[in-house]
Amino acid sequence: MDRKIEDFIRQHRPEFDDKEPSGRVWAEVRNSLPLGNGWIRSLAVWRAAAIFFMAASAFLLWQRVGESKGEQATLREFQDVEMFYNDQIAVKIELIEANSNAEGALNGFTKDFHQLEAMYQVLKEEMKARPSKQVKDALVLNLLIRIDLLNQQLHKLEKSTLTKEEGKNAI
Amino acid sequence: MDTETLNIHRDLIERCKQGDEQAYLRLYKLYAKAMYNTAFRISGSGEEAEDVLQEAFISAFRNLADYRGDASFGSWLKRIVINKAINALKKRKHELMPEDELFDVADEIEERDMPELTIERVRAAVMQLPDGYRSVLSLYLLEGYDHQEIAEIMRITESTSKSQLSRAKNKLKQLLTLKTNHHGSQN
Repeated sequence: MDRKIEDFIRQHRPEFDDKEPSGRVWAEVRNSLPLGNGWIRSLAVWRAAAIFFMAASAFLLWQRVGESKGEQATLREFQDVEMFYNDQIAVKIELIEANSNAEGALNGFTKDFHQLEAMYQVLKEEMKARPSKQVKDALVLNLLIRIDLLNQQLHKLEKSTLTKEEGKNAI
Repeated sequence: MDTETLNIHRDLIERCKQGDEQAYLRLYKLYAKAMYNTAFRISGSGEEAEDVLQEAFISAFRNLADYRGDASFGSWLKRIVINKAINALKKRKHELMPEDELFDVADEIEERDMPELTIERVRAAVMQLPDGYRSVLSLYLLEGYDHQEIAEIMRITESTSKSQLSRAKNKLKQLLTLKTNHHGSQN
């Protein structure tokens, strides 16, 4: 039985771990951390943030934002960001829909979500008519808040599934 | 393994359970590189290995409450990584075993015919192995699992694991010999 390769690999074992994962992995893991006290991630806080955001968005719409040289660049830049976040939102919605079978379980959540979505459409029209950094930032913030609401909802669904399973196991 | 070794990161894990983000980051940094390389050797793809790593850490961190210290955190996490990597590979390849007919190897190569080994050459040759061979060889030689454990992980029999390892080693020798001859003829 030959052992040359086996011995070589075992002697040099640590040198076989030569690759490093990119920063993307930790960024994604961090987003999903079940963080402790959790006040900052609580749904209530995000609801408040959503309400504040909607008020700020309404204020922005009343402001006439002058045209600038970089309007088209801002618009193009936003379209890339929008595509990226919309993909994330679509995946999360699919997951939530697949896992929520109890009627009415999503009532509070969907109301907030639809309000944000409606405000987004209004802002998007404004972006098309008068692209500006302020409107772009408001749109991105809207997308981020929606993603966080979706994450919260997914976390709640996971917890409730776990509780149900534990209940079944206890029986 | 004694209890002290098993619970080497007990304090860190306790802090994670209380939601300390810095503790999560430290635990991630301690294990990410080794786990990424483990996933990469099984999947054969950097992108897929990153997805596996991400899913494994998310799953481990979310289930940290279930971790009771009866295995070292590293081996628990490694088992999650390997299971996810094997599943991803199976999904992509549809069937991982057997592949004997597809990648049959030449007759046993004599030890004396083997060229001088270097890390780079062996690493590259391992990555050139067919998926099934590479997985069994990595699990056995690099991750330290025995055939019974490999059989359980890959849902194959122990004798399949043994025969795949033997074929994988022979294929590896063939690749290393061919590579050296090829380089030699170019010079």
